[in-house]
Amino acid sequence: MITVFLCEDSLDGILTGVYEAYDSRLGHRNIRLKTEEMDTMELFCEYRTVRTDLEKAEKVLRTVRKRMGEKAKEAVCYAAACPDERRADAIYRLIVLGLSLPDGREALNFLQDPSVLLVEKLRYKAWHEAERMLGFLRFEELPGGILYAFMEPPYAVLPLIAPHFADRLLQENWIIHDKKRELLAVHRKYAGWMLADAKLLELRYIEGRSSEEENFQALWRTFCKSIAIEERRNPRCQQNLLPLRFRPSMTEFRI
Amino acid sequence: MRIIRCISCKFILQFRKVCDTLLSNKCSIIRIREWEIRMQDRMKQTKRQARVTESMTVMEKLKILSDAAKYDVACTSSGTSRGNNGKGIGNCFDAGICHSFAADGRCISLLKILFTNECIFNCRYCLNRSSNDVPRATFTPDEVCELVIGFYRRNYIEGLFLSSGIVGSPDYTMELLYQTLYKLRNQYHFGGYIHVKAIPGADPLLIEKTGFLADRMSVNLELPTAEGLKKLAPAKTREKILRPMRQVQNRREENRQELVLYRNAPRFVPAGQSTQMIVGATPENDFQIMTVAESLYKKFDLKRVFYSAFVRVNDDAALPALPGGPPLLREHRLYQADWLLRFYGFEAGELLSEERPNFNVLLDPKCDWALRHLEQFPVEINRASYQTLLRVPGIGVKSAQRIVKARRLGSLDFPDLKRMGVVLKRALYFVTCRGRMMYPTRIEEDYITRNLLNVKEKLPAQLRGEMSYRQLSLFDDGMPLSREEQICLLGGER
Repeated sequence: MITVFLCEDSLDGILTGVYEAYDSRLGHRNIRLKTEEMDTMELFCEYRTVRTDLEKAEKVLRTVRKRMGEKAKEAVCYAAACPDERRADAIYRLIVLGLSLPDGREALNFLQDPSVLLVEKLRYKAWHEAERMLGFLRFEELPGGILYAFMEPPYAVLPLIAPHFADRLLQENWIIHDKKRELLAVHRKYAGWMLADAKLLELRYIEGRSSEEENFQALWRTFCKSIAIEERRNPRCQQNLLPLRFRPSMTEFRI
Repeated sequence: MRIIRCISCKFILQFRKVCDTLLSNKCSIIRIREWEIRMQDRMKQTKRQARVTESMTVMEKLKILSDAAKYDVACTSSGTSRGNNGKGIGNCFDAGICHSFAADGRCISLLKILFTNECIFNCRYCLNRSSNDVPRATFTPDEVCELVIGFYRRNYIEGLFLSSGIVGSPDYTMELLYQTLYKLRNQYHFGGYIHVKAIPGADPLLIEKTGFLADRMSVNLELPTAEGLKKLAPAKTREKILRPMRQVQNRREENRQELVLYRNAPRFVPAGQSTQMIVGATPENDFQIMTVAESLYKKFDLKRVFYSAFVRVNDDAALPALPGGPPLLREHRLYQADWLLRFYGFEAGELLSEERPNFNVLLDPKCDWALRHLEQFPVEINRASYQTLLRVPGIGVKSAQRIVKARRLGSLDFPDLKRMGVVLKRALYFVTCRGRMMYPTRIEEDYITRNLLNVKEKLPAQLRGEMSYRQLSLFDDGMPLSREEQICLLGGER
C-alpha cells in the first residue's frame, strides 16, 4: 500500500510534504509525494493532503542546509520552481539520500540515482529560465517614476530574480508582476523587496505611462533594428535563443 | 617633509617609488592641462564643423551610430561580479546577461555604439572610412550617459560598449571616450558594465585613466597578419596596435599586486581585455589565424579573441568578392577551435599544421582531431583522466565534470552517460564503459567518418538491422588488394 502525500504547489508546500512524509514513519518505499495539480487518482493508494506549514518548511530547509550544504539547499529551491510533477518526489528522495549518507554534501554527486539527476536537471532548468528572465524582463516607467514589469513564465522564478533587481535598481521603486501566478514583487527605494498578492494591485495604477517612456521605447526599437547585420540574417538562430513565448512582454517585439 | 624624516632606511626603496609616482603625477597634471587647452580649441573647431550634426535628434544619431557599430563583435558582459555601490544604479553579473537577440541571432547585451563615425583613416574594409559618403554624427558625452541610464533602468541593456572613429587625433578621441566614461561613473554613478575600445596611438596615460573606469578594454587587431594590415589599413601598423594591448596587460598585472596589498584599491580593467579580427578579407589560412590567437592568449593574457566574418560593405578592388555571403561557417569553425584552445587544453599545432592549414568544413575540429589520432582511442570512461575525457568528441566540459564527479560513487555505463548529457552518437566510437564499447564498432577512420557525417541518424545502420550502402570502389579500404591485383591494377611498381 502506497501512501501519497498531496502537497501545495509551492516550495513551502513541498517542504512541508517532505516533513510530513518523514514524520509518518511509513517507510520511504511506501511513500510518494505529489503536488496538488494531479488529475487522475491511482488505485491501491491512500491519499493524504498536506496542509502547508511555514514552520515545518523552514525546519526542513534548515536541516538541508546544515546537513547537505548550501548547494543542496539551492538545488531544492530551484527544482521546486519547475512545473514538473515529479519534482516533489525527487526532492524527497534527494533529502532522504542526503540524510542517510555520512557526508550529506555528497548526495548531489549521486547522479546515477534518477531522482538526484532529476533534481539536478530541474535546478539547471529553473536557473536557466531565471537567468533568461533577468535579461528579457522589461520595465516601463509609470507616471510617478515607478518602474513596472510583467511576465508570464511557466516557472515560478519571481522570488529567484527579485534579489538581483533589488540590488541593481536599488534607488528605484519597482514592481514585477507575475501574471500567471498573480504575484507581485515590490521594491521600495533603498529598502528591501517583498512578495505580495497581485489582487491588491489596482489596474488603474499601472495603465498610464510617463511622458518619457514612449521616447525611450522608440529609441530602443531603433537600436535593435539597426544593430542587426542584414547579410547575416538568421531568424532561426534568433528564435532558438529567444523563444517566441518571451516576446509578448518585450518592448522591441511589440509594435 | 615630515613624512620623509620618519622614514627609515628600510623603506627608502619604497619611498623612492612613491616619489616617482608623485613626480609622474605632477607631469601628468601638466600634461592634462595641455590637453585641456588643446581640446578646448579642438572642441570649437569641431563644433563649427559639426553644426550639421548638432541639429540632429538623439534618435537620428543613435540610428547612425549603432548602425556604424554593428560590425564590432564582442557584445559580452561577462567577467566582473560587482554589487551595487550604494550611490547609484547598477551592478555586474559574473556570467553576463543577454538582454535580447537581434535578427542575425547575435546577442544584444550592451548598448553598442560609436561615439562618432567621423574618421581620419581610410581603412579599405570599413564602412566609416573617410572616403565614404555616409551620414556622419557625433554624440556628446551627456547624450550617451542619458541613453545608457534610460536603457539600463528599463532593463534593456547590461551596460555600454563604446567604440569610436578617429576624430581629430587618437589622443583627442580617447579623451572624448574618457570624458564620457568619467561622467557616467562619477556624475551618474553608473555601476553597470562598460566595454571601451583603446585607441591605438593614444597617450598611454589616457588609456590607463580610462582603464580604471571600464570593465573591459579591447584593442582591435583588425587583421590577423601585419601584411594584411598594410594592404587594407595602411594608416595602422601592428606595433601601434600591440603597444596599448601590452600596456593594458602590464597594468593589469601590477593592479593584481596592488589588490593583494589593498583589497579596495581601484581595479584596472577587471574583466580583462579582448580583441577581434576580420576573417576572410585577406588570404590568411586558418592555421595562421589560430596561431595568432594562441599567442595572444598566451603572451598577452587576453580573455577573448573574437573572429568576425568579413562582410563586404565597400566596393573596393583590394577586397575579395564574396558571392556566397560572409564566410560564416569558417567563422564558426574558428570559434569552435578557440573554445578547444581555452577550455579543452588543445594547442593550435595539434589541430592544424602547415600541411593541413584549414579546418575540415564537414567535421568540427575536435572530431577531426580525434579521427586523426585514433591510436589514443577508445578511452575507458571509468578510468580516464579528466584531460583525456575532454578530448573525446561528444563529451564537453560539463559532462566531463559530471563523469568525474559521479564515478567516484560507482561505475558508469552508457545509459548513465546519456543521462548526463554526453552526445553518444559522437562519443560511442571513442569510449568504453567497464571495458565494453556500446556495441562492436570498427575503430577505423573511414568508417567512423562516414557515421559521424550523418549524425542526424540516432544510431549507425548496423544496429537498426539494415544493410549499409556505400559506393563501391576499386581500392576499397575494407579489402586489401592481393599481390596479383596490385600488379594488375597499379602496374608492378608498388
